[in-house]
Amino acid sequence: MSKIKTCVSLYSLQDEYLNKRMSLEDIFKFLAENSVEGIEIIPDQMMQNAPHPSEQTLAEWDRLVSTYKMKPVIADVFLNTNLYKNRELTKKECVDLLIEEIKLASRLGIKLIRLVSMVPAFVIEPLLPYAEKYNVTLALEIHAGLSFDVKKTQDFIKEMKRLDSPYVGLVIDTGIFCTRLPRVMAEYCKHLGTRQEVTDYINHIFEQGKDPRKVYLEHNGFPTELKQLLKSDADYFFAHMADGYENEPFSVLDEYFPYIKHFHFKLFEMTKSGEEYSIDYKGILQYLYDKGYDGYVSTEYEGNRWVLPGHPMKEKEQVLAHQSLIRNVIQELEGQEVY
Amino acid sequence: MFDNNVFLENTCKNIIEAGNVTGFELKTNITYYRGIPLSMVNDIGVEVDGEKVARDNIVCSVDEVDWFTLDEMETVTSYKWEYGEPLTVRVLKDGGLSNGSHEIALDVVVRTAYIPVPLAGRKVRTVEIA
Repeated sequence: MSKIKTCVSLYSLQDEYLNKRMSLEDIFKFLAENSVEGIEIIPDQMMQNAPHPSEQTLAEWDRLVSTYKMKPVIADVFLNTNLYKNRELTKKECVDLLIEEIKLASRLGIKLIRLVSMVPAFVIEPLLPYAEKYNVTLALEIHAGLSFDVKKTQDFIKEMKRLDSPYVGLVIDTGIFCTRLPRVMAEYCKHLGTRQEVTDYINHIFEQGKDPRKVYLEHNGFPTELKQLLKSDADYFFAHMADGYENEPFSVLDEYFPYIKHFHFKLFEMTKSGEEYSIDYKGILQYLYDKGYDGYVSTEYEGNRWVLPGHPMKEKEQVLAHQSLIRNVIQELEGQEVY
Repeated sequence: MFDNNVFLENTCKNIIEAGNVTGFELKTNITYYRGIPLSMVNDIGVEVDGEKVARDNIVCSVDEVDWFTLDEMETVTSYKWEYGEPLTVRVLKDGGLSNGSHEIALDVVVRTAYIPVPLAGRKVRTVEIA
């Protein structure tokens, strides 16, 4: 049996929630009816007054979890280092805020926290006693655009290795494995006015097996050829946003594998043939299977932010199609097993 | 990216207090995917028929009980602008909006935890005041 388990990030259904087409209960019900057994939640998104929700809110959470037999797998936590306009938070303020997040996760029955990218490494050591006491593991998100070559990420990893605690690790967002730029993002920018020549230039970078981020780093910014193509705000917006999609080989994870606690299986667009447009999920799952990954992979639909005004939001359909892809691949992998 | 969240339809109207029109208000969702304390609202801007409203004349509230100017909001950390709950933006101006049609633009700018530049959203709506 594979040890890879699937869940769904409620982030995927954010537009349904924001526009009150679905309540938190509607979301739990929808997922349970579609055989989803685990969820990932951003407390700041769907739990009022997090990290200090009311007793009533907590009682409602308990009721939903038990009624729909849902396993709350992981809480996505942010650190508002720029809470104030005129200064950064002090180290103590950062640690104090995160202690509250650990307590909330524990109260929600969650044993894993995803720390947003760029969380400073200095928080880990002072938080460890709380992580141990509340049995909550802290894992930094490795996200495209802010991944392994970024200083703050490197600092966190260094500190993680130094402390070598089972309560500290990484969450990998598969946006670092884009072999093509998400088409929905390009279409949205086209609607804003981005010219086709600019999109073609970026697509060509991916075709060469590179990504915009790497190319910009090599050139200390936009390459001259790209600069000459940029004529409008929409062109610049697109060129900047394009560096949020990386094109790494799966083997980039080899070194970090023992520390990986969770995966965000990023979803931009499920195609009619049942594949994700930018990311090779068959390949990733084969890699995880071969490595013996024991943990969750979570559908995180982000195509919702690239839906053109006036076009229908298809969060539910996209999530189910992605879950179906993941489950089928896992089943195929298990079918190869020799007993 | 979050422009669709800005300036909810049919929310713009004059404020009438004790029989006087003291200004106008409108509602907006957040230009982000999670709730944040009000201190992380970087800026709110309103334009009426192409003319920018003075910053000091804008007040905001998440509960319509307690109102803060934009300068005051910079230190407000215990009131949270929740994802899925609109912020009410009021422009204090005697007489409010005159009868007829107006082009109202709303800019919402918030700081995030990890993206170096604040996230901005803008929406312009044609509003009829009867």
